[in-house]
Amino acid sequence: MTAGVPTEFIAPGPQNFTTPPIIDGVDWFTKPVLVAALSVVVIVWFFWGASRKAAIVPSKLQFAGELGYNFVRNSIARDAIGSQDHMKYVPYLCGLFFFILLNNVAASIPLIQFPTFSHAGWAYVAAIMSWVIYNAVGIKKKGLWGYFKHQTMPAGVPVWLMPLMIPIEFISNILVRPISLSLRLFANMFAGHILLLVFVLGGEYMVFESGKIFLGGVGVITFLMGLAIAGLELFVQCIQAYIFVVLTAQYIGSAIADEH
Amino acid sequence: MSENQDPKPSPPNSGDGWRVLSYLIGGVALYGGIGFGLDRLFGTQFLLPVGIVLGAGLTILMLHFRYGSRS
Repeated sequence: MTAGVPTEFIAPGPQNFTTPPIIDGVDWFTKPVLVAALSVVVIVWFFWGASRKAAIVPSKLQFAGELGYNFVRNSIARDAIGSQDHMKYVPYLCGLFFFILLNNVAASIPLIQFPTFSHAGWAYVAAIMSWVIYNAVGIKKKGLWGYFKHQTMPAGVPVWLMPLMIPIEFISNILVRPISLSLRLFANMFAGHILLLVFVLGGEYMVFESGKIFLGGVGVITFLMGLAIAGLELFVQCIQAYIFVVLTAQYIGSAIADEH
Repeated sequence: MSENQDPKPSPPNSGDGWRVLSYLIGGVALYGGIGFGLDRLFGTQFLLPVGIVLGAGLTILMLHFRYGSRS
């Protein structure tokens, strides 16, 4: 496509999220898989390096590692689960947080620029994992029937309203939670990425391909907006990783809480 | 690090916002769904909106019982 020759603008859509296999013939090995695998390597390298030579006076890497770990342990796990039981869940929450964080932030790293969790399947698996864990620890703590009662009996409701309220409590505690966990993460990553594509591809089209001076000016503004959206996205990526893990911790906390 | 010794009490209500949201979704989805099913069963048209309103009302009532007494 050469400059000045008007061509049709093709709006970005879900088709932009279908990436071809990196190696021909290996259909499952696509960009999200590569990004996820890379993120695991980076996380292992980072925390291994940070903890290998643990010293009283920490090196920079060790300090960064402790900062990240302490953030998850103190600000997420201990606050949501309580200082009694939280240590058991710190490894899972820490791994989950940094995995989601790295895969989200990958969307803003040049050359990678793809949010793994914009494919709903990744978000489903993460949510199902959390769902299984908090239900399992709740059942382990209270027994199957006790946990079920704990999760379906709303506190403070008059007895005559119970039959109408128990289904609501069940649905919101057992069914809505994993759905909202996964959809929130997936939809934020998907929407953010497609918004960026609209601004950047739209700007590119208007400046270079529309062949109209006026549209070229608008295109420059569109590019600048895209830049602003990219900054906003960086914020959203971090927030979504945080929210996912905070809610997981809170669900674990509520599953093992003594009173409702 | 120094945060380790900090005996900060955990905020017990920090997840309430999301919980309220999931109650509202759950209540409306459940009773709206029942209304939808009954509509299909009897060939009527008014039970879906009735179910949605009933679900929303019951959810708000439950939120009142759960959280309303807190000062």
